[in-house]
Amino acid sequence: MNEFLPHISQLIQSTLKGFSFLLQELVLVLTFILVILADLISHAKRSAWAYRICIAGIFLSTGVGFIQNSDIARVTLFDNSLILDSTSIAFKYIFSAVTILFAIFIRFHKPLQNHRKGVGDLYMLLPAVLIGLNLMSMASSLLMIYLSVEMVSIASYLMVGYASADKRQTEAAMKYALFGSICSAVMLYGMSLLYGFTGTLNIIDPVFLNRLDLISDPAVALAIVLVLVGIGFKLSFVPLHFWSPDVYEGAPTPVTAFLSTAPKIAGFAILIRFLEPFLLPAQSYKLPDLFDFRAVLSVVAIVTMILGNFSAIWQNNVKRMLAYSSIGHTGFALMALIAFEGSGFSSLIIYFIIYAIMNMAAFMLVDKVADHTGSTDIRTYKGLGKVLKVEFVCFVIVLVALTGLPPTAGFIAKLFVFSSAFEYYAASDSIWALGLLITGAVATVISLFYYLKIPLYAYLKNSEAAVAVHVKRDFLTVVIVFLTFLLILYGLFPGLLS
Amino acid sequence: MIPLAHFMLVSAILFCIGLYAVLAKKNAIMILIGIEFMLNAAILNFVAFSKHDKIALGGQVFALFAIVLAAATVAVTLAIILNVYKYYRTIDPTKIDQLRD
Repeated sequence: MNEFLPHISQLIQSTLKGFSFLLQELVLVLTFILVILADLISHAKRSAWAYRICIAGIFLSTGVGFIQNSDIARVTLFDNSLILDSTSIAFKYIFSAVTILFAIFIRFHKPLQNHRKGVGDLYMLLPAVLIGLNLMSMASSLLMIYLSVEMVSIASYLMVGYASADKRQTEAAMKYALFGSICSAVMLYGMSLLYGFTGTLNIIDPVFLNRLDLISDPAVALAIVLVLVGIGFKLSFVPLHFWSPDVYEGAPTPVTAFLSTAPKIAGFAILIRFLEPFLLPAQSYKLPDLFDFRAVLSVVAIVTMILGNFSAIWQNNVKRMLAYSSIGHTGFALMALIAFEGSGFSSLIIYFIIYAIMNMAAFMLVDKVADHTGSTDIRTYKGLGKVLKVEFVCFVIVLVALTGLPPTAGFIAKLFVFSSAFEYYAASDSIWALGLLITGAVATVISLFYYLKIPLYAYLKNSEAAVAVHVKRDFLTVVIVFLTFLLILYGLFPGLLS
Repeated sequence: MIPLAHFMLVSAILFCIGLYAVLAKKNAIMILIGIEFMLNAAILNFVAFSKHDKIALGGQVFALFAIVLAAATVAVTLAIILNVYKYYRTIDPTKIDQLRD
């Protein structure tokens, strides 16, 4: 106890100083409480007040973040357990945008709105999960990584299981919750080993790496692999991907749209932070020969791209197909992460901005079509292209973007990733980089087959049932058109993103 | 004074028991118990290792947070399992397989 006394004042000071940089999250905490109160007090139809306060709070927190972060280059908070730099700030903007889109999506999703529980509690989860996501993008100690990952996970389990309107939804929730808790328990054990090896929880501390260097290589490799299991669950790369098609198919479509974007991007934010010290060439620490991150992650990325894209070909359910395609996209993003030197980071962030837009738009369209036909099976899309004209024109543009063809933003995203991977290959001449480039190119060609299945059914096949569909449009259609417009705008003027 | 290696051995055994339960049990609640075993193995490690980290006491703080989060996860998961039982009349994960390729 006596050893601790001289440090108290310094610790308290660093804690108090840290709060002034957390205004964005404090606003979200306040929003969280207000949304609960609003939902308790007002009995407005469709939880209108909870929705409004939720959206306003997230906008306010983004605005506060914009003012607060405008002149920050890099600060560490709370005794180095959080780090606020340009990367985490960029990630925070992506998360806020995705969460706002998610809130709007819930608002116009009929099955959830008509559910007897109402959607007030779902709006309550949004600020909470956004705090978790923001912390994930800033975490730089093992404790913060675990806390923020669990925060997001628990909220996600609740979202998937929230409506539990039928058998499939509860099944998806159970698979997700069980598999998620197993992965986080494995990750926690890995963290406890890393803590034991180094005596510190702080991963950006030089002491952490120096002490890790003294431990035998197999032990370090084991601990790091265990931690990667937990992160890999969030990213859903192979071999930790098998929960995602089931959960994405079973969960309500807005939740699927959210789960396939925000937590996945946040997982990458943590992976970047976790790998940064190992990948930076300037480090004094020499990588253990046994555990070569680049080789391991390259293999994972190659297998993920192949498996994700090939499995997607056989799917008839659109949500399941998009789930496999998002696994394929994880492989691409891993490729950008491996080619980290030089332009790796900026290309990764641009990739995620575009990925978030495409994915949200794609799932909104799936929901819009399901709203008319009551089905997410591709074979029921027959002839709908002539009835739901606006929707399917947007759908085709979004799918072209997901494939990565010009003139959409998807092309720009893929171009950045490929060029940074090529730079890395030219600089290092590594066989893995070459393998990644080839697999990436092949995967893009394969993805064309399953993405184009949707326009094939919608435009080239006819059906009598389609004519009877009564077209309904609401604000969600406007949002979809706006997102599609953004995809083309960024495709034509990529300079707008940086 | 118990040496550190003994703690690590006990926690490794606990972790393996947990992993076995997770992989072999055909009851969602037993799997949950297995997960608890794994979490407690890690918590034991944290508390034992924090002996060498007297200033920051990171390990003990981490153990406290991990206990709270484990409780939260279990509460949510149990509620979900209860829902599954309502629809399927069983909580054997191998029999709950409506979603598949």
